[in-house]
Amino acid sequence: MKIFKKNSAFTLVEILVVCGIATVFLATAIMLFTNFRRGFSRSEGTAILMQEGALFVARLRNDLNNAVLVPVIAGNDQAQLNSTPDRLSFSLYSSREAKALPVVYRYQASENGGSVFRREGNDNERVLIKDRVASLTWQTELERFVEPDSTSSGTVRLSIALDMQLEMQTGSEKPFLLKTSIFPARLNRQLNVP
Amino acid sequence: MNNQQRQGLSMLEIVFSVGILALIMLPVFMTFSSGNRNIMLTEGEFRAHTAALELMEQIVSLPFKQISTGEYADAEIINGGPFAAGPVLFKLTPAKDLWRELKIEDIKRDNKIVFKKVTVTIKFTATKNSDRVREFFMKTLVANENI
Repeated sequence: MKIFKKNSAFTLVEILVVCGIATVFLATAIMLFTNFRRGFSRSEGTAILMQEGALFVARLRNDLNNAVLVPVIAGNDQAQLNSTPDRLSFSLYSSREAKALPVVYRYQASENGGSVFRREGNDNERVLIKDRVASLTWQTELERFVEPDSTSSGTVRLSIALDMQLEMQTGSEKPFLLKTSIFPARLNRQLNVP
Repeated sequence: MNNQQRQGLSMLEIVFSVGILALIMLPVFMTFSSGNRNIMLTEGEFRAHTAALELMEQIVSLPFKQISTGEYADAEIINGGPFAAGPVLFKLTPAKDLWRELKIEDIKRDNKIVFKKVTVTIKFTATKNSDRVREFFMKTLVANENI
């Protein structure tokens, strides 16, 4: 019968060709999507690290710019600016309480990512960065610049050298690196008062 | 039923439809890559902002009489190099693809310098290995505490 000669189905070659083309398209699409997804995830992690690092530095910079020297009182070891590998303490003028309050930044190192905490006055310690600090150093540096042939004591400059690296626990994201110096304006002005 | 009627799609139709689909999907994929690029740009801006603050703060922290008026080009703003005629030295964190400029102007009233206007300009490349240079300004006033 004539009806059996009608080409009503695909041949094996047609199906194989279509499958081959579809496979190539699908593989390319999946590869592209996976790469974009991975890149997006990595960028998202990098953005989170950058945001946390930037907020931390802005907070520390703001605190240090408002740091003041207070008269040393017996037993009050937080009166001046002190730095140890895991602690940075100084006095901050609080406009809310109209007095200088001790502020302590504490770094808790850990293999799975360290954390940074901040305490002001008698308030509870608050977490600034949790489990994302790969390394952190804050070093107080005091310099004195004296004019040659001068009898004056010169200019004193206090600064805090900050070196920080933030990492996600997964480790696939780009780490956030920050190295800078912070110059507490009020403290320096107080130090240079004749 | 007409035996000549087409039963499926021709290759040309498939190629066209895939092409249209690709054009539709392109902006979707572009949003991913532009997101990445924006993060890189933000990182560059943050670096520039940090460098500007570092330079600005060390000038502002000096006693008023030590803030010497003048313009300082990138070649004069070197880590360990003198600020103005000295004795104060610049303290700067090394930064790649970043150029600093400093301008200090007097603001006078009744022939007395009441303020110093400090302007820090940072020029930096938009992204790593990019030729596009962007500029960032930071300005502040320092009051003369001696009057």
